[in-house]
Amino acid sequence: MDPDAVAKAFVEHYYSTFDTNRAGLANLYQESSMLSFEGQKIQGSQSITAKLTSLPFQQCQHAITTVDCQPSGPAGGMLVFVSGNLQLAGEQHPLKFSQMFHLMPTPQGSFYVLNDIFRLNYA
Amino acid sequence: MEEQVEMVGKAFVDHYYHLFDNNRTELVSLYQPTSMLTFEGQRIQGVDDISAKLNQLPFDQCRHVISTVDSQPSAFAGGVVVFVSGCLQLHGEEHPLRFSQMFHLIPTGQGSYFVQNDMFRLNYG
Repeated sequence: MDPDAVAKAFVEHYYSTFDTNRAGLANLYQESSMLSFEGQKIQGSQSITAKLTSLPFQQCQHAITTVDCQPSGPAGGMLVFVSGNLQLAGEQHPLKFSQMFHLMPTPQGSFYVLNDIFRLNYA
Repeated sequence: MEEQVEMVGKAFVDHYYHLFDNNRTELVSLYQPTSMLTFEGQRIQGVDDISAKLNQLPFDQCRHVISTVDSQPSAFAGGVVVFVSGCLQLHGEEHPLRFSQMFHLIPTGQGSYFVQNDMFRLNYG
C-alpha cells in the first residue's frame, strides 16, 4: 500500500467526518489515543470526542493546503503533518492551522489515531 | 510521565534550534542513517543527505523564535512526538517567516534522543 495514498485518504476521511459528522470521529481514536488541542491534553476516545463535539462552533469546513507523511517505525505507524484553513460559519476570515497525526494500524487493516496535536497558526 | 515527556520535548527543541542558529553543521549529531526529513515537501533520508540539505539552505544567519511546543509519547519505547510552531528570522530580511515543524524522537540508549522523523513547513500568510 502506497503510504502517500494512505495518508491522503486518511486526511480526507478525517476532515470530511469532522465537517459533516463530528461524533463519527470517535471511530478513529482508541483508549490509548492522545490529543493536544491548543495546548490542552486529552486522552481516550470518549474524552477526545467529547472535546471535539463541544468546540464552540456548529458548522465548519477544513480546506487542506499541505499533507506530508513518513513511516514512524517497524510497527507500521505513519506520521502525517497537515496544514490548512478552517472556515467557521458566519466568520469572515478562515483560521489557519497545523495538525499532526500518528496513525497506527488496526488488525482489521485500517488505521487509528494514536497521537493528535492541533495548533492554530496566528498571524 | 506527562511532565517528563514535555520536559524532553522542550529540552530537545531548545537544543535543536540553538544548534541550527549557532552551529548548523552540528545538527548532524541528532540524526542517524534511518532518519527522514521532509523539508517543504522535499524528502531526504540519512545523515549525510539531511546534513547537506540543512547546510545548503540559502541563508547563512538565522534565528528561530519558538511560540509553541507540544509533546506526546509515541508508543515506541520512550519515543516522543514533538510539534513546534514559531518564527524564523533571516538575516537581512524585514519580516520573519512563520513555520511549523514536527519531530519524532527515539532514545539513543545513552540517555539522549535522535530524530527519526522530521517534517518542516513554512506557514504562509
